[in-house]
Amino acid sequence: MPPLQRFSTPGNLREPTQADEDAWSKAVKAIIDQFATDEFPQFYDPTETETPHTATIAHIAWTAFPARLLPEATSEEQRWAQADGSRDEQDEYCEWSVERRDDGAIIRVTFTSEVREYWEHIASRDPDRIVELYRELVDASLTREDLFVDGRYVFDNEHNVLTEGRLAHLVQPNNNLGAAVDLAAKATILREKNGGPVTSKQALVQCAQLGNEFRNSDPQIAAAVNDAARSGNEITLGDPPGLYLDGISTAGMVTPDGTDPATFWTVERGDPGHTVRASFSVPEALGYVVGDINLGGRAIRFGAQLADRVSVRLDAVVKPADHQPTPRPCGAP
Amino acid sequence: MNTAASPPHEGCMMFVQFPGALERTAIHRFVLGEDREPRALSAGEAAAELGDPFATLLLLKGIFPGTAGDVLDALRDATDPADSLRQTQFFLLGEGSQITLTPETAEVQRDLRFLVSCGGGPDGPDIILSAFHPEQSDVEVMAWDHDHGGFNYYRTVGNTRAWVFAGNARHALSDPTQGNGPFEAHHSGAFLMKELRAPWINWHSPDANIQPSVFAEDDALRTHEWFVNKAPLGAFTCETTVARPAITRWAKARLGAVAAGGTISDPARILRQVLESAAVNLVTSHTESANAPNVEAVDLPQTFFVDSEALTELLGLAAPAPINVPAAIYRQALETFGVTFTDGRSFTRPGDTHFAFCVPERAFEDQAVIAQAMRAGLLSDRLVAALLMTDFPNPIFSDRRAALLRYVPATATVVDRRSDFSETMANAILTAAEPTPEGSPEREFASLWSAGHQWRERFGELLSAYYAAVTTQVATQDGFDAFMRLAEARRDVVRPMPITESQMLFATTNIGQGRRRMRADATVEEV
Repeated sequence: MPPLQRFSTPGNLREPTQADEDAWSKAVKAIIDQFATDEFPQFYDPTETETPHTATIAHIAWTAFPARLLPEATSEEQRWAQADGSRDEQDEYCEWSVERRDDGAIIRVTFTSEVREYWEHIASRDPDRIVELYRELVDASLTREDLFVDGRYVFDNEHNVLTEGRLAHLVQPNNNLGAAVDLAAKATILREKNGGPVTSKQALVQCAQLGNEFRNSDPQIAAAVNDAARSGNEITLGDPPGLYLDGISTAGMVTPDGTDPATFWTVERGDPGHTVRASFSVPEALGYVVGDINLGGRAIRFGAQLADRVSVRLDAVVKPADHQPTPRPCGAP
Repeated sequence: MNTAASPPHEGCMMFVQFPGALERTAIHRFVLGEDREPRALSAGEAAAELGDPFATLLLLKGIFPGTAGDVLDALRDATDPADSLRQTQFFLLGEGSQITLTPETAEVQRDLRFLVSCGGGPDGPDIILSAFHPEQSDVEVMAWDHDHGGFNYYRTVGNTRAWVFAGNARHALSDPTQGNGPFEAHHSGAFLMKELRAPWINWHSPDANIQPSVFAEDDALRTHEWFVNKAPLGAFTCETTVARPAITRWAKARLGAVAAGGTISDPARILRQVLESAAVNLVTSHTESANAPNVEAVDLPQTFFVDSEALTELLGLAAPAPINVPAAIYRQALETFGVTFTDGRSFTRPGDTHFAFCVPERAFEDQAVIAQAMRAGLLSDRLVAALLMTDFPNPIFSDRRAALLRYVPATATVVDRRSDFSETMANAILTAAEPTPEGSPEREFASLWSAGHQWRERFGELLSAYYAAVTTQVATQDGFDAFMRLAEARRDVVRPMPITESQMLFATTNIGQGRRRMRADATVEEV
């Protein structure tokens, strides 16, 4: 099987021209190639090296609610309020914003896993597309001046950092494609401590200095990649490289009229299997709103109650190989 | 269905080692307490007693799957493509699942086993099966009985591959069947996922993946669809789409008749789930014990200290602040008490279980019954609060709370979701309290009840003072050591329970056996 021709856009979103597609692929390749080096012999660039049919896909999944908040949580409402309170808290490669009625009842929660690199790519190719997207997805009244300063797209502009209304894409500092690639590459290095392998999620992240060990996402990516590397395999990100929303679990939800709440999940961007933006809302014709739905015995009052149920995914490609990696001690590069 | 592993408990041994020969093509009934031995049901008997889809689609039609995998194949053959029973989810767990496979650990009994759910929806799956291996004949199945309510429990017997009906959930609720057979573990007839809460120690989950390398390179399970296609979120999905819905479904079915009104002949059976701890779940720190040397503090599960699931989440009382033990104190305690993780055979590792500080907590099946009894109008929030606040520093295994069971009225009547049951029971305790000595459970309840309509404020003050004391104690070596001794005493209560089927459920310590209880000042006393 020949090497991948080019990296696809997140969610296989359509680009206006092939030149735009090539530009995005080039941007991703620049990220990948920082790590597809001798320093990380088990991490590879699939546009340079073939991926055989025997390669397998590891679907690494976690929930959108930031696990980092759990050890310090005092009650369910406390943790939900904290996570809803700031996009900076939402660090699991998924962020959300909440729309409410005047009486405070939730009417829609919008989730995104779109990396900012992609939006910066669009902005660099065609600033007007960014404005159009914001008008379509965030606020129809926005202008170019709201989003650009001195001709440069401000990804964390005031309209895209709010927790209320409609968000555009990921802004939390850890939620970006570069971070995910960095993590996957570095996790191909086996670690040891006191003569024994370091394999568990938290201990591995600490040992290899891969970030906050209490997050859901990064430690899990690291542990899965590390386990695959232990068998001598080579690893890269699945195409299209990105983070994906794997749907929402509606078990335990009770709607006022018995309608299946799974029908309230609307994919807004991304192809089947690669959702990068979705929202949860009740069709107006039904006469009630999200806040009227009961979840686990309580009314839905926080977007985070839904984030508890949203699944986020990264695909890693595991290519059979016969590396015989030598574990490195904790802290060693 | 017990998600624990071998060796089977005594009651289960009746099934595993049944010496007789069973007909391969008959449904047998072996409801311990009612049946002295497995007996083949006639077609009429089986049809009258079994109204679940495992029976109606397969057994009653003469289809007797030989293995766990055959069960799924047979269900697929018996259903339309759109049938929700074709929606299967695979889960994996094992007490040794986080022990890295190396030449030194190759012989460790990891007790890996699968749980498979079939069907879905707000009430959870209709069929759940448990097996160590897809190709083996040792299978347990529970299936929701749409005719009679409650799950029907089935299992194969020994190597005969014969299917036995071991009881319906309602058999868990009364003599002579309660506490027998599957209801040794399923005390109230509910589905059991003992590690119900994040980080779900022992389960494949976002908090701790069970990686392919847990299997040897040549182990066919490494590429078996049950493993490869296991639910990506593992225990999280099992908790939210299987366990909690299934447990709540049974609690609703039990209490549904109460909500509809009428007389309840045995309210004590419900109050036992308020005042006793026949069932427990397990909860741990979010911190891996292997990571404890790298962190400043180890978070401790708040339900070890207080029944916050009921008092805070259900009743809205004060929540505890985060309870964290300084890591240096935790590590010293591991050393002091010789904490060791071992399978009792070839594997021994100094230190705690994968996630630190694994302890029992009040079972969700009890919480679900409390919630449903309140919604049905049987129990008032004030009565539940006063009962649970009695000896509140001991959220499980409280003899003091259990002592109040004797005051449960013989019957209860509910009309339009209203009942005088709570007042009647409270009055019975108040009347009994006067002649009892100072400090009796009855007097403690009476004191709590005397708060009247101010009970939320009064109970909140008690809890806040206790939480402050816990925070003080946990920051000292002596204080935390006492918590370690208390934790071990609670584990000792769990160890003989049927849910303990692997020595690796808990770490071992050098702490002597003994009964201990927490005081309201967060000190621990030997009882």
